[in-house]
Amino acid sequence: MATTAKKKGFGSVIWEYMTTVDHKKIAILYLIAGGFFFVLGGIEAMLIRIQLAVPNNDFLSGGLFNEVITMHGTTMIFLAAMPLLFAFMNATVPLQIGARDVAFPFLNSLGVWLFILGGIFINLSWFLGGAPDAGWTSYASLSIDSPGHGIDFYAVGLQITGAGTLISGINFVTTIINMRAPGMTYMRMPLMTWTTLVASVLIVFAFPPLTIGLFLLIFDRMFGSSFFLVETGGNTIIWEHLFWIFGHPEVYILILPAFGIFSEVFSTFSRKRLFGYSAMVFSTVLIGFFGFMVWAHHMFTVGLGPTANAIFALATMAIAVPTGVKIFNWILTIWGGSIEFTTPMLYGLAFIPTFVMGGVTGVMQGAAPADYQYHDSYFIVAHFHYVIVGGVVFGLLAGLHYYWPLMFSTMLSEKLGKITFVLFVAGFHITFLIQHFLGLWGMPRRVFTYLDGQGYNTANMISTIGAVMMAIAVVVLVINIIITVAKNKQVGRDPWGDGRSLEWSLPLPVPYYNFAQIPLVRGMDAFWIEKEANDGKMMPAESLDDFHMPNNSILPFIMSLGLFIAGFGALYFASGKEWAISAVSDMPQHPWALWLLIIGLAITAGAMITRSLKDDLGYYVTKEEVLRDLEEEERGAK
Amino acid sequence: MAEIKQEPLSKSKLEYLRTQRTKEMRQQMVSFGMMIFLTFVAFGMVAMDLDSRFVIPIVLFMAVVQVILQFYYFMHMKDKGHEFAKLFIMTGMYFGIAFVVTFLYITWIGSPI
Amino acid sequence: MAHMEYNVPSERWPVHPETATLEGKNKFVGFWIFLAGETALFASLFATYLALKDSVPGDDHLLAAELFALPLAFVMTMFLLTSSLTSVYAVYHMRNNNFKQMQLWLAVTVLLGLGFLSLEIYEFVEYVHLGHTFRTSAFGSAFYFLLGTHGFHVAIGLVWITGLILRNAKRGLSVYTAAKVNTAALYWHFIDVVWVFIFTIVYLLGVM
Repeated sequence: MATTAKKKGFGSVIWEYMTTVDHKKIAILYLIAGGFFFVLGGIEAMLIRIQLAVPNNDFLSGGLFNEVITMHGTTMIFLAAMPLLFAFMNATVPLQIGARDVAFPFLNSLGVWLFILGGIFINLSWFLGGAPDAGWTSYASLSIDSPGHGIDFYAVGLQITGAGTLISGINFVTTIINMRAPGMTYMRMPLMTWTTLVASVLIVFAFPPLTIGLFLLIFDRMFGSSFFLVETGGNTIIWEHLFWIFGHPEVYILILPAFGIFSEVFSTFSRKRLFGYSAMVFSTVLIGFFGFMVWAHHMFTVGLGPTANAIFALATMAIAVPTGVKIFNWILTIWGGSIEFTTPMLYGLAFIPTFVMGGVTGVMQGAAPADYQYHDSYFIVAHFHYVIVGGVVFGLLAGLHYYWPLMFSTMLSEKLGKITFVLFVAGFHITFLIQHFLGLWGMPRRVFTYLDGQGYNTANMISTIGAVMMAIAVVVLVINIIITVAKNKQVGRDPWGDGRSLEWSLPLPVPYYNFAQIPLVRGMDAFWIEKEANDGKMMPAESLDDFHMPNNSILPFIMSLGLFIAGFGALYFASGKEWAISAVSDMPQHPWALWLLIIGLAITAGAMITRSLKDDLGYYVTKEEVLRDLEEEERGAK
Repeated sequence: MAEIKQEPLSKSKLEYLRTQRTKEMRQQMVSFGMMIFLTFVAFGMVAMDLDSRFVIPIVLFMAVVQVILQFYYFMHMKDKGHEFAKLFIMTGMYFGIAFVVTFLYITWIGSPI
Repeated sequence: MAHMEYNVPSERWPVHPETATLEGKNKFVGFWIFLAGETALFASLFATYLALKDSVPGDDHLLAAELFALPLAFVMTMFLLTSSLTSVYAVYHMRNNNFKQMQLWLAVTVLLGLGFLSLEIYEFVEYVHLGHTFRTSAFGSAFYFLLGTHGFHVAIGLVWITGLILRNAKRGLSVYTAAKVNTAALYWHFIDVVWVFIFTIVYLLGVM
């Protein structure tokens, strides 16, 4: 089991990653898969911008444009942003709280495979008769009407990835509640851990409504029920509610971990402890709570009535308060610090004004009467890209540079990183700032083209030029990653030199058991305290001894594969049946669909039964092995 | 991953534990009896066709009481170490009530509030 | 000695065997959090049902008041409530390190659960004969989805507890299996909690 420096065969590396339950390797899986989908979503974004660059463009047809915007949104939110955040959560949280792994390593692996196979499932729609085309929100009236199987791919695929996300959420909450090292009280946890905790709690409460909503859609489209079919009594508003009950917390699920990354980056590179730590924690929790009480602000124009709109408008504006607290705390953390302008820090500095702009337009839309004007215009597009790109993606890029050494024990090139930064941030503002005005001038969102002479030409061209800059920035980033991996120049403990929290106290590469001895935490910024008091050596909380680690397992992959297969069965089940909705009733029948559904579910159930009937007690890492590793590290340090 | 820290229990300690558990079992029996009673009353009230404005709140209240009994006595939520469980379940219930209320009042375009 | 011993001799049987190990503690915390998520899941289902419960395409479709029979719902409730008590017995004997009694009460729980499930299936078959199906109306879809999800949970619980009885038959009681039994019991109680809301909101308020 020991990770030896010996070169392993390609096959065994693949097998190792397919069966791994190690949170550090699962983080790498999330990073690779999430990065792949990020590039895919980026290509879709470029297609959108090329189509809109000039009026009356016929680069994409109207139908294809709908598919591209739907897949761009779905991919970026579910398959890129969230998994990439999971990558950093997995890479850092167990290390930050001083644990040897997460609470449920097996479920961690199940989560990542459900996400990967679900993501592949959705994207296979491109090759199997067309992608979903009802927007990432997939409002029921539109999605029930959409011909072909596109929407089915969306519904089933999201159901599979959603299950994975829910599992990971439960796992992180349990890990943070139960697995903290001695002395790591709640109010000493680094902000990254706190935001992960709150985001995971949001996942626990937000994903079940999505599951139900998706099931309603699946049942209507594939099994003949009538939740959304108005002629048999259905009600499409139910989908909007369920989707946004999930959808609004979702944006906080995305932004909170990004806040966490920035909090770490600011205090590390200002060489100061985070200003107003307890206010930061409190505002994180408050944002999480309010995040659940505002979903209907996406539905102001549905006609819910003035009372409902007023309540949700007020709650929406209230969220700006805790967010403002955070902004001021970050500024005051930087204030008077000895600042190092590393790439992650630059992203942080760009994030503050960008996110404030996105927040301000958010409050503007929170005013229900004004929202009737902004609704479904490019103003909305500009707003959510300012918060999602300016907040989440900047956070991901900062995190990528900041945590890269922790994950791979090499450093990304700072020079190329700064080139990426300049291109990306400049490109971002060029793309989206102008879209506020496009919206106010009246350009509706989700249209595949516009006429000449409406005054949209120049602005759209500017926007496309900015998007090209962002694409170049991502290319530079990929080159940076390739060069870094090829050079493979190893770095040692605390590569930034200013690490504050526990994860930087570990040798690099981090041993597979993380901590030879679980450390004793003596205060906030545990590693910083020991640097000042103890020459950077953590005090152990236990004597050197054998300890327990979980076994690898292929079962999570098999369980996910079963659901993946069953998904195709469900998908084709209604094809050509007389009871089916008109969108699929004319298609050819697939008598094998039912069998596929049964076989897939049987595979999953079989894997689950195997898992519960077998005793999986894990194995022990011996004291001798740990001692050997420690000596080796000692020699290396000299 | 520590080993079981349980020291062998002395005879009197064991005895005490046993009586505690029997006592708890008695509480659980009582709450079971109450649940049966509440169910009976609820079904009875509905079967008797009383005024629905009177019955609905009472029936709902009795359901809540039953659920509290179930959580606190059957699922041991009254014991120590269940603080986070209370927090999570109550948060879930709070959000759940919010969902139900919005679905009852603002799903119909015909009658906006 | 850091090696975990699962088969503790009876004189050192812990006061709370289900949370004596770190794995047990994790399972306990994680499962409660899962149940909180299930609360949100069932709340969404109830909300959907309440929004659609009077939605049928025409006057010839039966509604709740014409369909539901209270006596059947009452018997089903009794089955499930009693099974909740029997699983409490199982946990009681688990804490007292009494393996045989624990297995017995788990088996009784399964039998009662089976009784409940067969009544529910009987009820559904009756409704289908009356023309109230998953596909005929939004009310039908919402009704079968809510009740079906609950029934599916019951079925999963039955498979789970039966599996536990069988797998533990040879292994006996240890702190490893105690955590599993406790989790299954929590799940079973939660199913009962959901049923309390179902019989109140769907049946009692439905027939009024």
